[in-house]
Amino acid sequence: MGKAKAGLLQGTLDMLILKALFLGPLHGYGIGQRIAQISGDELKIEEGSLYPGLYRLERRGWVESEWDVSENNQRAKFYKLTRAGRKQLIIEEQNWERLASATMKALRAN
Amino acid sequence: MSRVKPTVNFIHAWQHPEEIADEVEAELRFHVQMRTRANIAEGMSPNEAQLAAKQSFGDFDQIKVSCCEIKQGFPFDLKPLRMGLYIAIACLAGGVALVAINLPHHSPFSVLWQLVAIAVLMRSFLAGRRKQ
Repeated sequence: MGKAKAGLLQGTLDMLILKALFLGPLHGYGIGQRIAQISGDELKIEEGSLYPGLYRLERRGWVESEWDVSENNQRAKFYKLTRAGRKQLIIEEQNWERLASATMKALRAN
Repeated sequence: MSRVKPTVNFIHAWQHPEEIADEVEAELRFHVQMRTRANIAEGMSPNEAQLAAKQSFGDFDQIKVSCCEIKQGFPFDLKPLRMGLYIAIACLAGGVALVAINLPHHSPFSVLWQLVAIAVLMRSFLAGRRKQ
């Protein structure tokens, strides 16, 4: 049986972007790659949808960006997590764990 | 402190919308180029690789517009600000109305003033209840 690709729940993309950036600064393409990598290729996000998400996070002050040179000597915009972003990631992770465990409990109920 | 940079970005985005649009476009194009390279590395022809990169990216123009709109969006949650403003206006209107009610009512004009004041007070009260 082929490996099914999980669709993203609303609001999950922000958490995944924060998580990807927790490991270090990246450009948008790199963030998509890292999300695929850390999810073991289970989560595929629509590549373009990453950018509105990134811009929203930047507006909230959770990530900040600056132009730099990429690994192939091209000008690229790199994002990094701010201190507020790190705190938000912790909150999002706790919320997610609570939600996941409550959902599992409900599904396993007889 | 985390609100300083978003506020600066917001002001910059309003002052230089064309610059922001160019930056967003450059960023999105970089992504499509990177995907095209990866596709070529996986064995696609350059044309196929570019087409596949554009398809996997989604609607380029729509995404660009969305990003520019977000950049120009207000960097704060406006709900508390709106609520505070509403309360301030309601308090001011209520204060004026109370003063008007206490005016001596010897003339039709002062009676009219009182009716207006009562209407303002009732309007504030009803609007406040609706907001709750």
